[in-house]
This record gives sequence, C-alpha cells and structure tokens, in this order.
Amino acid sequence: MPDMVTLSRSSAPGQPQQRQFNPYTENGGTILAISGADFSVVAGDTRQSEGYSIQTRYAPKVFRLTDKAVLAVNGFAADGNMFVKQVRQRLEWYRHAHAKDMPLRAIARLIQTMLYARRFFPYYVYNILGGIEEDGSGAVYSFDPVGSYERESCRAAGAAQSLVQPFLDNQIYFKNQVPQPGRPHPKHLPLTTVIQLVIDSFTSATERHIEVGDGLEMYIVLAKGSPLHGLESIDGVQEMTATNEGERIFIIRRNLKRD
Amino acid sequence: METSFAITGKDYVIVASDTTAARSIVKMKEDEDKIKAVSPHLLMAYSGEPGDTIQFSEYIERNLRLFHIRNNYSLTPSAAASWIRRSLAQSLRSRKPYSVNLMLGGYDTTSDTPHLFWIDYLGTLAEVPFGAHGYGSYFALSLLDRYHNPEASLEEGLEILKRCIDEVAKRLVVTPGKYKVKVVDKDGSREIEL
Amino acid sequence: MSIMEYNGGSVIAMVGKDCVAIASDLRLGNQALGISSNFQKIFPVTDRIYLGLPGLATDVTTLRERFRFRVNMYTIKEGREIEPETFAHLVSSTLYERRFGPYFIEPVMAGLAKSATGGFKPFIAATDLIGCLNFAKDFVVAGTASSKLYGVAEGLWEPDLEPEQLFETISQTMLNAVDRDAYSGWGVIVHVIEKDKVTTRTLKGRMD
Repeated sequence: MPDMVTLSRSSAPGQPQQRQFNPYTENGGTILAISGADFSVVAGDTRQSEGYSIQTRYAPKVFRLTDKAVLAVNGFAADGNMFVKQVRQRLEWYRHAHAKDMPLRAIARLIQTMLYARRFFPYYVYNILGGIEEDGSGAVYSFDPVGSYERESCRAAGAAQSLVQPFLDNQIYFKNQVPQPGRPHPKHLPLTTVIQLVIDSFTSATERHIEVGDGLEMYIVLAKGSPLHGLESIDGVQEMTATNEGERIFIIRRNLKRD
Repeated sequence: METSFAITGKDYVIVASDTTAARSIVKMKEDEDKIKAVSPHLLMAYSGEPGDTIQFSEYIERNLRLFHIRNNYSLTPSAAASWIRRSLAQSLRSRKPYSVNLMLGGYDTTSDTPHLFWIDYLGTLAEVPFGAHGYGSYFALSLLDRYHNPEASLEEGLEILKRCIDEVAKRLVVTPGKYKVKVVDKDGSREIEL
Repeated sequence: MSIMEYNGGSVIAMVGKDCVAIASDLRLGNQALGISSNFQKIFPVTDRIYLGLPGLATDVTTLRERFRFRVNMYTIKEGREIEPETFAHLVSSTLYERRFGPYFIEPVMAGLAKSATGGFKPFIAATDLIGCLNFAKDFVVAGTASSKLYGVAEGLWEPDLEPEQLFETISQTMLNAVDRDAYSGWGVIVHVIEKDKVTTRTLKGRMD
C-alpha cells in the first residue's frame, strides 16, 4: 500500500510536523446492468487490483440481496464489502419487521439514504442495483457515491465505464441508428441478446483495460411467472433462488483473459 | 473586459471591437481603435497584452504592405491569415511569445467572397461564419448561433451585431462602454457609426 | 488543464478488406466553449494516404504544413509518391525531433501500401506526441474520446469488412464515442480509402 500513509516532516527540528492518512484506494474492475421487460441482468468482473498489482483474481463485486434484487458495487473494495454487509443487515431487519422482502424501489431509496448519511465521509463506491419491481418489470438503479440515483434500463460503472457505456448506448438504446420505416427499435431486448451483449462488453473491456479481466459473474433475475427466455440453453447456468416468492435468480460465470 | 465580434454576411464582413484601453482596474482610454485595416481589403481586430497588440499588429501591417510593394498585389485574406497564424505559432515557442488574439475579416477580390478567421495567441486558425474573443464571446456566440444569416444584407448584419452588443451590455459585469465597428467589402474597408 | 484537451477532438482509423477508413470529429473548442464546427483534422497526404492530427489546434495546422513540405520534398527527391510505411516513419522522426518540447498532437494514419505483387495492402498506424509508432492490425484511435473509441471499436469491429460495412462500423464507432465526450463532436467526417477511389462523407450527428 504505497500511498496509504504519507508522512511529511519539516526539516527544522521543533517545527510542527504534518501527518496525513488517505483512507481510500481504488480497486479497479467494472460493473454493468441491463434491464429487460421482465428480467434484469447485473454483471461484474472478478479482478481486484491496486495500482499495477492484482490482489486477487476472484473477488465478487455482484451480490444477491433478495430473490428480486441484486447489487453490484465498484470502487474501493473495502467500502463496497462493508456497504453490502450493511444493506443486507437492513434488509434482514425489514424481513423481521414485515415478514416479506423489501420491494426494489424501496431498496433503491434505502441505498440513497445510507449513502447520503455518509455525505462527508462517503463510501467510495459506485452502486448499481438490478432486479424486479413490484409491477413485475425489470429495473436498474444506478447511484453515485453520495446517493444520487436514477432508474435506467442500462448502466456501466467502474474502470471501463468509458469503454462500455457508449457501446451500450449504441446497442441497447440504438443511439445513432436510424430505424427502418415502419419498424421502430424494440423498447426491450430479449434475454439471450442482453447476455451476449454483456459478455461482449466485458471481453472488449478486458482486451483494452488492464484493471478488467479474470472472471465474469452475471446475475439474471426473472420476474414472477416469467418463462426462462432461452436461459435453459445457455451452459453453466446455476439457479440461486432461495425463497418461493416467485422471482428467480440465476448466475452465469465465464472466464475472462487473465493478462 | 476586452471584447471583439465579427460577422460575415452577403459579400461583406463586419468587425467590431470595444474601445477601452484598460490597465489593471483603471480605464486609461475610452476611444482606442483596436481594429486595423492591415491591407486594402483586410480588417484585423486585435486584443490581448497591451504592448504586444500594437507591436504585433504594426508588424503584420508593415509586412503585408511590404508584400504589396514588392509584388504589386495584396495577399488574399486566407493567405494573409495563414501567414499571420504562422507568425503567432512561431512566436508561441519563442522566449517571449506575443499574447495577441485576432479576428481577421477580409474580402477576397479574386473570388468575390468574404472571409472571416478566428485566430488566438497560440496560432489557432479557424475560418468561421462568425466569431468573438474575450468574455463577450460567451454571450455573442450563442446569439449568433440563433440569428446569424450568411445571406443577410449589411443593415441586417448590423442589427445582429447590435443584439450582441446589447446582450453583453446587459449581462456582462464589466461592460465595455463603446464599440468601433468597421466593414470590409468589395469597395475596401470603412468605419460605420452604429 | 491539460494541453492535449485544450481544443478537444478525436480521430480513429480502421482496416477493412482491401480498404481502410479514417474518421474524425469537426469540433474546435477553447476548453468548454465551442469555436468552430468545421475544423478539419484529417488531411490527404497522397491519393492513398490520409493523416489525422488530433490535439492542440495550433499544432494541427503547423504539422499539416510541415508534413506537406516534407512529403513534397520527398516526392521531388525520389521522383515517386511516398509509401504509407515510409510516411509513418517520417511522422515519427518529425515528432521525435521535438522530443523535449513536443508538438501536442497524436497523429493517426491510414493508407493503402503497394505490395510486391502490384496489389494494395491496408495500412494504419498511430503515434504518441513524441513519435512512438503503433502499427495495429485492426484499428487505432487518438484524441479526447480515445477511451470511448477503444470500447466501441473493440465491440463493433471485425476482420475483412467490405468498404460499405467498414464505413458503417467506423461511423457508428465515432458517433457513439463522441456523444459521450464533451470535448469531441459537433459533426463527424469519414474517409474510406479504396485502391481506385476515396469516398468522403460528412455525417449528421448530435450537435451538442
């Protein structure tokens, strides 16, 4: 940790000394979430680095919160892990008090208040929350470190945000693409297309960004009663659903280049 | 603050500049002419470091005159602009660079077209339909984006210029008092009273 | 305030099947203030070589003039047109000449090189501001939107694109990258170079 502690001693003895401690560091990696009509995909790579050193090739950045909510956390890993821990604790308290899981939009607002509570000593993390709303629609919420948030249908954050976001603008929002007459762009994309775009985004980011690579973890949240949308034909899908409320969670893991 | 504008229209270029000569917070003069007719069909509005502006504009004027005497014809506006730009670009990487920004408006008598060039002290050259330097540019450029018309008559062009001057007078904290306005067209350059 | 970002602007070049393409934005700015929406950063060097010069605008003009002079001298002395690879080294040495007081430009080149069999081989290259050459096989980028260009190009580009497909790929890459960059944009220009023609198109994009 080269720049975690900096000491500067003035040359004259008896003079005041200044000490400094920088409580933050940046751990690289990238996260990404895309929502569809009745599903949501939240993904992140698993590399954790500091400067040019890789600390680990497997440190998850995406976490299952409930059966209908997944949170991706990127930035300062220690803050990220602590933040997820606290969000999970608040969600557990909610379950004890109300005997049900907190709705997604409520989790989003909870995250805002938790982040803003630390306005003057923030968690140095960018959050992306993905999941299913109470109306059954797929949703993505993105946050800045102090809690400013917005519901979107697509967002990338982290080290390779600048590489991935314009690609998503083009492929998800069809920016700069002119539709054929009488054939408007689809409002929502099918799940298999979204999964392919996520994998492509991460392989591209891995190719050009040194802090992205090693592994990819993709969480897929399906709405109550939703069909599998071709998920069954993708290999290596693992179900993570814990309750029988109706929403289902799956995870897909892929290897990324390790160089 | 120093401000200059220039607008092209149908077969003319209007160049306008404020007339204040300031030193620190003190106005030294309110009738300084900061637009030079550097050759018969070329107007140059200059602003920047006080000593540099005069020295540089006179250097340009005399060299363009020398070219005319030697060759018996004047440089076209784009040729003059390229040469002036080069002078500034060379000066930039010298021991004491000129700190002068220019709006160069000219009428090309060989092709009968008006030309306007935006030049800064770095030697950045851009041919533009309208342009401005100084704090006034933050107000004038957006106005000109909306109202500029390359086919406008001289009267219409002056109306647009007045909008710019009025907006700067209204919104800029340190407003220049008076402006000098000059026009260059096929008949050469002349001053215009607003 | 970085000098490389003072005026803004970006360039990209891509390889296709028997063709190359080069594209740039058209903005000239003074930091956040836009000055011109028609500032050319790509210049023809020969009929088959184009050169993009993103970076400090004064050096765009200075280098364009310098390269025109040096290529003319080469053509006169050698009695033939310069080849893209030779030109790339000319660019590199011209920049390295100013190693400790550089021109603030990161050039991008695209061209077709004559092959031994008499055909033409696609060629692209880029250098940093002191002339370190990068001969890429796929695409090269430079300018204020470079990271965005890398991301989109890496996602859209594939080998052996025909001229029209290459045009679409480079255009979409450029448009979507500059839309996420505050210092690039205000119009895009694309040149597609083939063995017998160069197609130049100015694209209608977002003007904000």
